[in-house]
Amino acid sequence: MPDSNANLIGVFATACVVGVASGLFGVGGGVLLVPLLVLLHHYSQHRAQGTSLVALVPPTGLLAFITYYRAHEVNVRIGLLIIPGVLIGGILGGRLAVRLSAGRLRRVFACILFVLGTWEFLSPLVHSTAHAAR
Amino acid sequence: MHWLLIVVLGFAVGILVGIMGIGGGIIVVPALVHLSGMDQHLAQGTSLFIILFPLGLGALWVYWKKREVNLRAGIVCAIGMLAGGYLGGRIAVDLDSARLESAFGLFLMLAAILLWRRVKPTPNAGAENA
Repeated sequence: MPDSNANLIGVFATACVVGVASGLFGVGGGVLLVPLLVLLHHYSQHRAQGTSLVALVPPTGLLAFITYYRAHEVNVRIGLLIIPGVLIGGILGGRLAVRLSAGRLRRVFACILFVLGTWEFLSPLVHSTAHAAR
Repeated sequence: MHWLLIVVLGFAVGILVGIMGIGGGIIVVPALVHLSGMDQHLAQGTSLFIILFPLGLGALWVYWKKREVNLRAGIVCAIGMLAGGYLGGRIAVDLDSARLESAFGLFLMLAAILLWRRVKPTPNAGAENA
């Protein structure tokens, strides 16, 4: 039984951890949920991605959002401008994904993340060094 | 930042959402920090606002038709993420913005490493009613 209740409890525990990261970093959490479904629960890449998209349909970040909103850390206008493009682009990306091989998909994704991550990690350090140099 | 540029940014993010099966916040946050000059907290809060809406719905439809979706597991994940998200949000708002950005970078690198590792998927794992 690949989808027994015991497995669902494990998936739930994983999702709780993903939720903390989601609120902490202001992201949907799919980025962590997808690899964890693959690594811990042995989903295929495509099924992990499809399942992650289900988890992202309800506003799972609502409680985290409220916390940021109260701290005045939200720009609603720019947020609204980004939304229509994401929606339309999502359909296009989904079509592309189901045609690509799962292995290549995973690798491309990982590369993009790693480059972004390194950039984000170094950027504040570089800025503070630049300030110090002045 | 010009509004048209922001719309185009959204479109590019959307393509990634569909390809990766993710919410898009992971791309939106660095884009807002580096392209529109927001600080890390404001970018993260704005990202959380964007993903309140079911942006992956279009992409989900495509996966659904190919039967690559486990609905039950997805719902369970949503509940867990809602609860965890509250805790994470509380922690983040009290952190220093530059430190939060570095932590965000580490988070992305960790996610990338997790994803790169080769695993052999168990045939039919996560299939619903299998």
